[in-house]
Amino acid sequence: MSDSIQLLLFQLGARVFAARAENVRRIAGPSLERPEDGVESALGDPWDPRRGLVVEVAGEERTLLVDGVLGLKAVPDSDFQALPAFARDVLPTAALAGFAMLDEVATLVIDLPTLLREGKGAALAPSEETPRHA
Amino acid sequence: MARQERGSAGPDPASKGPVPGAAELDIWYFGVRLGEARYAFLAPLVTEVVRLGPLTRLPAAPTFLPGVFTHRGEILPVLDLSELLLRRAVSLRPGVRAAIVHAEPWRVAVVADEMEGLLHVPRRRVGPPPAGHAVRDFLQAVVPDDLGDIAVIDLPRLVAAARARSAPA
Repeated sequence: MSDSIQLLLFQLGARVFAARAENVRRIAGPSLERPEDGVESALGDPWDPRRGLVVEVAGEERTLLVDGVLGLKAVPDSDFQALPAFARDVLPTAALAGFAMLDEVATLVIDLPTLLREGKGAALAPSEETPRHA
Repeated sequence: MARQERGSAGPDPASKGPVPGAAELDIWYFGVRLGEARYAFLAPLVTEVVRLGPLTRLPAAPTFLPGVFTHRGEILPVLDLSELLLRRAVSLRPGVRAAIVHAEPWRVAVVADEMEGLLHVPRRRVGPPPAGHAVRDFLQAVVPDDLGDIAVIDLPRLVAAARARSAPA
C-alpha cells in the first residue's frame, strides 16, 4: 500500500485549493472574532470569509481567511505532482507546492506556512515589460 | 511553399520523401497566427499538437502563463504566445489547440490564435529579419509566401526571456 497525503480542501473566492492538513493547527469560525487578523495572500481575497485556517508561522499563529472548508481527503503520493519547473521559475510566490489529482482534476496544493509568511506582497508579479527593443 | 497540418514536427515519413540533396536546402517551420499576423518557429521544437484540456489557473501568475493543464498524466505550463509577443491575450475557448514544445530546459504548451501547422520552406526563400519589426528582439528571419510574410521567431530565446524577466529576485 502506497503512502498517502492528508489534504484539507478549502474554497477561496471561486476556486478550490488543497493544503496539507498537518499544517493547519485549527479551523476558526464561523464567527471570526478578529477578522482583521486574517492575512492577505497571493491567493486573493475571499468573497465571504466564514472560516479561517490557523497556521503556525515562525512560532506565531496566522490565519488565512477562506470562504469555506470542504473537508479532508487522503490522496496517494503518486497522485501528487510538483509544479512544472517553468511555472515555478516565473511565479512570484513559492507557496504553490504542486498539484493533487482529485477526480482527474489538477487541484493546487498550497504550502500554507509559506503563503502566510509571504503575505500579499508575493501576489505582485514583477514587471512584464517585454524587452523588445535592443 | 508546402503546408501540412500534422500532430508532430518534421517531414511525414509516409510521404514520397525528399528530393535527394534537398534536405539541406529546406527548412521545416511550425506556423501560428496571432491576429492577422503570421509567425513560425523551428518545427523540430514541437513534439505534438493537442487540444487543450481543462486549464488550472495559477494565482499571481504573469499574464503570459494563463495556467497549466494535464496531458497524459504530465502537468504542462501553458504559454500564451500572443501575450508574450504582442501583449494581447489569446481567447482560450474550449477545444483550442496547443503545440507542445521543448524549449530547453523547459517543456511547455504554446497557444496562439490559430495553429497553421508545418510549413516546408526552401532555404533560399528565408530572408533576414527587417529592422523595426515589432518583435525584432526575437526575430530570426522572414519568409515571404503568397499570403504575406511569416516572421520566424527564436522560441527558446523568447521563453528564456520570459522566464528571466518574471523570475522572482
